[in-house]
Amino acid sequence: MKSQTQASGVSRRSWFHKLGIGGLLAGVTGMGYAFVRALVPNVLYEEPQRFKAGTPGQFPEGATFLEDRRVFIVREQNTFHAISAVCTHLGCTVKMVTLNQPKRVAIGGREVEETREFHCPCHGSKYYGDGTNFAGPAPKPLACYRVELAPEDGQLTVNLDEPVSRSFRLTV
Amino acid sequence: MAAQNKIWRQLTWTWKPASDRDAGDSVVRNLLLHWFPAKVTIGSLSFRYSFWLGTISAVLFGVLCITGLPLMFLYVPSVERAYQSVKDIEFVVSFGWFIRALHRLAAHLMVAVVFLHMVRVFLAGAYKNGTAANQARPVNWVIGILLMLATFFLSFTGYLLPWDQLAYWAVTVGTNIASAAPLVGDKIRFLLLGGNQIEQNTLLRFYVLHCFFLPAFVLFLFMWHMWRVRKDGGLACVDKLSLEQKRQNLPPVKSKTYSLLGITKGRTVHVETALVDEDEHTVSSSPFLTRRILLVMLGTVAVICLLALLVATPLEEAANPRVTPNPAKAPWYFLWLQELVTDTTIKLGDFTINGALIGGILVPGVLIVLLAVWPWLDKSPVQAVGVWFAADRRRQNLVFLGIVLLVLALTVVGTFLRGPYWRFFWPWEAWPEMPAPF
Repeated sequence: MKSQTQASGVSRRSWFHKLGIGGLLAGVTGMGYAFVRALVPNVLYEEPQRFKAGTPGQFPEGATFLEDRRVFIVREQNTFHAISAVCTHLGCTVKMVTLNQPKRVAIGGREVEETREFHCPCHGSKYYGDGTNFAGPAPKPLACYRVELAPEDGQLTVNLDEPVSRSFRLTV
Repeated sequence: MAAQNKIWRQLTWTWKPASDRDAGDSVVRNLLLHWFPAKVTIGSLSFRYSFWLGTISAVLFGVLCITGLPLMFLYVPSVERAYQSVKDIEFVVSFGWFIRALHRLAAHLMVAVVFLHMVRVFLAGAYKNGTAANQARPVNWVIGILLMLATFFLSFTGYLLPWDQLAYWAVTVGTNIASAAPLVGDKIRFLLLGGNQIEQNTLLRFYVLHCFFLPAFVLFLFMWHMWRVRKDGGLACVDKLSLEQKRQNLPPVKSKTYSLLGITKGRTVHVETALVDEDEHTVSSSPFLTRRILLVMLGTVAVICLLALLVATPLEEAANPRVTPNPAKAPWYFLWLQELVTDTTIKLGDFTINGALIGGILVPGVLIVLLAVWPWLDKSPVQAVGVWFAADRRRQNLVFLGIVLLVLALTVVGTFLRGPYWRFFWPWEAWPEMPAPF
């Protein structure tokens, strides 16, 4: 025994000791990884983010709230766009407030006549009708999403996975 | 009869020892008493020194575990049935309303009492080491902070379970605060929710956290907390007592010499903790400490039972992802955070930092880290250990109290002075009529 230890510099006992500890650590780490990884879903049974909202004719002038999808469809004569109702601060659903009298506000150096605003009930953030945040803790404007016409039946299709710029308009 | 008496005595003698010798034996012979020292100083038993807040927290935790068990048999952690099952507990199940009220009130009280316990330990300088060997009170202070955080998470995961409007929107706000964390925020949110939306996965995750992982964590930390109290020589007021005795230049107190053959290297070991005059300043743990613990248990349970009879347990409308209530308020103990995330969005030119990051993560994070490392920054002398409002710690106590008052003030503002759209209202101002959902 002694000669073996001297020859290799490591005794059989300490080699097995290290092997045992190493095996235990590897086992625990592997199980831990499997445990955590199992909690990261591979399949989500959530609603698709791209959905049909109805034919353009169904939407009156102004903003229509689709409560199931937390999104506003805004119609301005023959143009359409979609503004998210999810507050950019902490994700509550903003409420549309129709102003009694239109007011003129400057958004990005441009003067615009406002007829509605969006207010958040959770922490009091406020947005202009185009989604620009102007008061409260909201850090950025409400998101806008792509609106298309479905080629097969002419319905407005909103894609909540595809944010677009605030100037985006679909002309029908 | 004689045999019965004998059995009864066998079962109970440790709780009412007939002699000092029996009292010393009882903590060794009874499993439930084994974590107590044979003797405790009279000062540690005082209600005025500690207000027994730690014991009350532990009792409340016990009440929560016990009342949680029947609730687990009755509650169904499914999105379709959770709300209905809580409604059944409240209105259909015999005594269901009472068990739920006990559980809820004990949870509210536990948050308050754990917080007060932390305030007490700070103001009395009880996280500081005294003169005895091998003390590590700062470590116990950190364990205590972890216990407080676990208490907050237990309440947070608990009030999701009824799946009512309060639950749904609290989780919306809470998990969005988590996602404001830099780099890993979105991943944490995804893992917490088990997806991108608050659905079945989320409810089940919070349920398992609430019923198993967090209570197990608290139980483990609680054992460690108690073990450390023993290792640190009891409450901090004992150190104060032994210092006083040294100052009075009393003749050395009787110390004990134990023979620990085969356990330690030398033949004997001198026990240094016996710095206080045992005859004058201590009593046996059984029955003096046990009696007070039982009294505190009785008082705590009595108060919760009374409150459960008097205070109705609210249940809001069923969770509705389409409609955010207006105003949407977290429970009172999180309203200071809700107020913070509202007030801390910073705009520097075009650059904006979300209040969720500053008020929701950075400010509470810095406060918690500061609290945790404070014992190592506190250089006050050993005379300030276990002394309420010690002159040597006046400045830090004032700053600490200032922060505590600020948190309380924000809580009051959030609770009483915020109305629809989180606008500020004085209590005497009426809230405007809000149209139904839209």
